[in-house]
Amino acid sequence: MSSFEPKIIGFLCNWCSYEGADSCGRARKEYPSNFVVIRVMCSGRIDPQFILEAFKDGADGVMILGCHPGDCHYKEGNFNALRRYTLLKKMLKQFGIEEDRVKLDWVSASEGDKFVRVVSEMVEKVRVMGPLMLIQKKQLKNHREHRGNL
Amino acid sequence: MAERIGVFVCECGPNIKEAIDLDTVVTFAQGLKNVVMVKSFNLLCSEAGKKLIEENITKNNLTRVVIAACSPREHEHTFKKVLSNAGLNPYLLQLVNIREQCAWVIKNKTLATEKAKAMIQAAVERVIHHEPLESKDLECQMDALVVGAGIAGISAALTLAQKNRKVYLVEKSPVIGGKVALYEKVFPTLECASCVLDPVLDKVLHNEQIELLTLSEIQEVLGFFGNFIVKVKKNARCVDTKTCIGCGACFEVCPAKVKNEYNEGLDERRAIYIPYAGALPNVAVIDREHCLHFQTEGCNACQNTCPFSSINYEENDEVQELRVGAIVLATGFDVFDPKRAPRYGYGKIDNVYTSLEFERLLNSNGPTGGKILLKNGQPPKKIALIHCVGSRTREYNEYCSGICCMYSLKFAHMVNEQLPDSSISEFYSDFCLPGKESQGFFNNLLDKNGIEFVRVKDLDSIKFSEKKGKILIQYKTINPPSSTLLKGGKRGLQDKNIPETLKSDPFDMVVLSVAIEAAKDAQDLARIFDIPQGKDGFFTEEHTELSPASTIKEGIFIAGCAQGPKDVQSTVTQGQAAAGNILSRLIHGEKLVLEAITATVDEDLCSGCKICIGLCPYKAITYNSPESPHTPLWKRGAEGDFEGDKGGFSDKKENLATINEVLCRGCGICAAACPSGAIKAKHFTDKQIFAEIEGLLNTNYAKTSKMSLRGTG
Repeated sequence: MSSFEPKIIGFLCNWCSYEGADSCGRARKEYPSNFVVIRVMCSGRIDPQFILEAFKDGADGVMILGCHPGDCHYKEGNFNALRRYTLLKKMLKQFGIEEDRVKLDWVSASEGDKFVRVVSEMVEKVRVMGPLMLIQKKQLKNHREHRGNL
Repeated sequence: MAERIGVFVCECGPNIKEAIDLDTVVTFAQGLKNVVMVKSFNLLCSEAGKKLIEENITKNNLTRVVIAACSPREHEHTFKKVLSNAGLNPYLLQLVNIREQCAWVIKNKTLATEKAKAMIQAAVERVIHHEPLESKDLECQMDALVVGAGIAGISAALTLAQKNRKVYLVEKSPVIGGKVALYEKVFPTLECASCVLDPVLDKVLHNEQIELLTLSEIQEVLGFFGNFIVKVKKNARCVDTKTCIGCGACFEVCPAKVKNEYNEGLDERRAIYIPYAGALPNVAVIDREHCLHFQTEGCNACQNTCPFSSINYEENDEVQELRVGAIVLATGFDVFDPKRAPRYGYGKIDNVYTSLEFERLLNSNGPTGGKILLKNGQPPKKIALIHCVGSRTREYNEYCSGICCMYSLKFAHMVNEQLPDSSISEFYSDFCLPGKESQGFFNNLLDKNGIEFVRVKDLDSIKFSEKKGKILIQYKTINPPSSTLLKGGKRGLQDKNIPETLKSDPFDMVVLSVAIEAAKDAQDLARIFDIPQGKDGFFTEEHTELSPASTIKEGIFIAGCAQGPKDVQSTVTQGQAAAGNILSRLIHGEKLVLEAITATVDEDLCSGCKICIGLCPYKAITYNSPESPHTPLWKRGAEGDFEGDKGGFSDKKENLATINEVLCRGCGICAAACPSGAIKAKHFTDKQIFAEIEGLLNTNYAKTSKMSLRGTG
């Protein structure tokens, strides 16, 4: 096994999941340092382009964490997140990115334990998957196309 | 001009300092683009820390500030204030949560330091794109509209009515007091309902700040919190409210007889009438649909008789336009129609009544003057009270109506008092007796004679039939001997332990505890006020636990059974809560302060596709076309002063999406959905988030963490 440490970006909604991450900190529960957080007001704010941008900039995995269904601070923003996530997963495959590199989950403000669990599981999963090498893949594709033209 | 960013790193006593190598972090931050100064300090939230930031902002002419400390939940507010004090817009701050999400969750100091560096770099790159935001404020109407003059609306109106604040109380019927005015007594005190209600109604009628509009309906609502424009149709009463004293001379001569809906159709009234004795306002009303003057133009009997010349057939309906800052919807409920469940024989078998009909039979101003009588004029010897008719059944309404157990017990108390020799049987499957008064109310019945509690296995299995002028009730009982159940018997009896028996008993009279249902006009009201209804038709509260009296539409509040079944006490509480919400937001001499983090539409980019409109949970986005009813009034050529109105909507081009800043809460759902990228979620713009992503990933952190150190979690 390689000593690969994945880099995971998490988009967390301000009301439930960011607070869940905080409560995890207040309880001094340790989780992998591979996970860095971007706070948004609502998981419904997460534009699929943010996720693609994260992959482009070198993330190996992306998590979307929002309020549980029915608990959204903005009523139904998390359902929007879910719909976009479902669609994005289909799209990622077409980009040559494994769909498991994106994961959506619900973490409430009191679920510090769940936060640790889902983050650790994600880090483990992506570690097994290995680094996302978009550039290499692109080069490989270009190379093949080039050869095909010859 | 390049931005001048100052980075402040908080040691948080030992909390951050011991977990992260702050010297490395400071050195790293100094090397970042546009950063002109970096300082670490023992405790930035202390007075000395705040002073340090403030002084450094001024001294170094900082244009942006990054503070690496605790969670924004903890001190974002504190540090925003510091920026304000230093003359910098508070939104030019980015807080980095290196305590809760770094120092406290990573044991390895090297890794924690690397993560902190990445987080700070992301903040520095993000803060460059921050824009100064201002909390806008808005001139508001202080007056309020309350729809529905039942106990909920009245409670709200009386709480709202203050010096300089007018309350329009709109009621569709000719009288105020709602359903409670139809009752003889209220539980759990068994206090006479009119003793409770009449003084309150008097207060409403004599309060100079409350303008009561009876016989009135809402036609249209425009605008938003702070500035609603409401059209009310005031139906003609055809009786002068100023001169009529309610003497009743007119209805004695009226030849037209109609079923009296205020007595649940149990008796008749005339076409000119007062709904019931003691109704307030005590003024007659002409029912034009049945009045012979209007139907055949032949009759002037009431006009000829009225000693005060109060009758005016010429009175027309009027449409009045009200300007209010906030609205309380307290439009009440209707009851389940038991004809929908044929097994109860309601409408076919004599002497089967709904609870509301029975309330009228018990009422001294009702059709029998308060006497419990059968159709044949005799008092009943055996009365059955059936619980949960239309409630707690998936067939009709899944919810518990919450008050039926208590009013059935009230009936038992009242019947026992009036007819001590008659027997009463309560058919129930479960009792719902929450709160500090209810169980005692139940227990008091146990000492009385002639009251029997019959636990029925399945209320839906009850069948009624008529037998020799009596009502035969067939049911499956799982009733243990009443002594074991009632006197300290085991609770939560298991069905399997109780033998089930099929029984049938004859009764003289049956009262059905019919479910509370959403008012029949709830759907129309929901459409007019543009607020959502739940699956049962009740208006949906903004948040079940935290904002039970608000709706998702800012400025529109709900109270009483319009929001869901509840008793008088909770109804009054909610009415007052709705009023309190308004009083705390619309304050005389103060403007309404709006959320600064909202979304805006770039009108050059918007293609008018309307995708965002359906997504907004707050209905803050409208399609700005000249035909749209939501287009601001001043754009539609209406007359008047619309300064406040303009404050919410901006004067945009046509055929585009427009976001109302009063209604927007800044969630950003629309921004993520906009295919043209025309919507900007302020303070969470695409640019800012892209910069943050880049900052997080373009550091050595990525490389370092890839180096080794697995199993840190």
